[in-house]
Amino acid sequence: MIRTFFIYLAVLIVGTLFFVSMILFAVPALQESTFVLPKITNSQIGADDDVTNKESLEAEIKKLQTKLDKLTPSDPYIIINTSDNHFYLYKGKELIREGMCSTGKNEKLISEKGEDKFYTPQGIRKVLRKQPKPVWAKPDWAFIEEGLPIPPPGHSSRFESGTLGAYKLELGNGYMIHGTIYKRFIGQSVTHGCIRMLDDDLEAVYKTLVVGSKVYIY
Amino acid sequence: MKENSVEDFDSLFKKKKNTGIKTFVIIFCAILFTVTAVYTYLSVGAVRQRMKLAQTQIEGADPVNPTLMNLMKDKAWVDSRLKMASGDSIGLSIDLEDQLIQLELKGVVVMSIKIREYSTSGFFKRMDGNVYFSMFGTPLTIQKFESSIEKNPFKVIQAPKSAEEAEAAIAVIDTLHKEVFWTVKFDREFELNIQGIDSISESQSKYKLGKGFEFKRDLKNIYNSFKQIVKFEKPTYTPEILIAIPENEAKAILRALPRNASVTIRI
Repeated sequence: MIRTFFIYLAVLIVGTLFFVSMILFAVPALQESTFVLPKITNSQIGADDDVTNKESLEAEIKKLQTKLDKLTPSDPYIIINTSDNHFYLYKGKELIREGMCSTGKNEKLISEKGEDKFYTPQGIRKVLRKQPKPVWAKPDWAFIEEGLPIPPPGHSSRFESGTLGAYKLELGNGYMIHGTIYKRFIGQSVTHGCIRMLDDDLEAVYKTLVVGSKVYIY
Repeated sequence: MKENSVEDFDSLFKKKKNTGIKTFVIIFCAILFTVTAVYTYLSVGAVRQRMKLAQTQIEGADPVNPTLMNLMKDKAWVDSRLKMASGDSIGLSIDLEDQLIQLELKGVVVMSIKIREYSTSGFFKRMDGNVYFSMFGTPLTIQKFESSIEKNPFKVIQAPKSAEEAEAAIAVIDTLHKEVFWTVKFDREFELNIQGIDSISESQSKYKLGKGFEFKRDLKNIYNSFKQIVKFEKPTYTPEILIAIPENEAKAILRALPRNASVTIRI
């Protein structure tokens, strides 16, 4: 009796395993195998025009490729990877420096004053202004975040030197490339949207990029 | 007349019971076999139907000279990337011939990664000139994103009420490792799957039974197929391209691409 029961049980298990393996593996494999699929065909023209067509096609490809290549700036530009917190400084197609940076922390701060979003916007920007020894004019959110009362505009507590490092490059809408006193956070997404760099990297970027240089952020 | 003993009566009962189990096992196996056969037949039929649809779509189009096919592919590839560059958004270009995947912004390659492994559906291997250009001749548009990790994670923080509260709220960096797998559906009825892998062996263990995002997605597809089969309909077949790249890059591309991004592919 027990023996018969186990035989039936084994048959049930084998049957179920066969079913599962067919559904999970065999059928998808069969669907992708080329031998069950018909070839999609259309009629073909003769080889008479081959040489002429080949030459004109090659010329067209060359023209299009040149057009595409021209889209890459010949002047220096910088690429910022906000996911990996990495930067790549280019001169034409040549990579001249790369390193770690810090970008926006992707946070929304809610307070009685409203909402502040901290992220590094993706897309293309330009260097609008360059400045050595920058002074940081602390915005309201800097006080809200620290749980401190917000001082009136122009109050001395709003201005801090040294926080932004030795240089800043303004990108518009309050976003900047600058240095930091929090060097241990470089490589992490911790900023309020600006791009922070280590001193040596910042100096190289500051000296290479000019006003109008493109900044590609993704 | 011989009377039945108690043992005889019991054995008769047992025999009947065994027959019942036997019948159940036979019916169960027969049902499984029939379902498998119908599922296989209709699933393969769905692929053939998709091929027929592609064939119908190219009817009447000018024929493509096979000797110039590679040059025409090259032209379509550059032309398509140029069209993508005319937009303001970040786009993705995938060159399976050179095994490269690139993020492009206004024609500038901002990220270029070597593809570790890739596979394409049989559908793509059987298509011919016009089908190729009808699918890859112009930039594709992403219609739907699905991913194992959040595409645009955004934390909501309540402002602290005092300096002490602010100090107590120390930032915790999320170091939890999650598999990176994302899939997009295009406007031309096929899918692109990107798998983040840090080793080739990782890509070969396709199914992480019970927990993998990809496994769950496949189960969902099978469930949907069965739902269609119950209604005596052919299940939907969607050709796909599976690409394996390093995990960090898979994550970076997922986060950089806009919801309706343009994608250019060369096979």
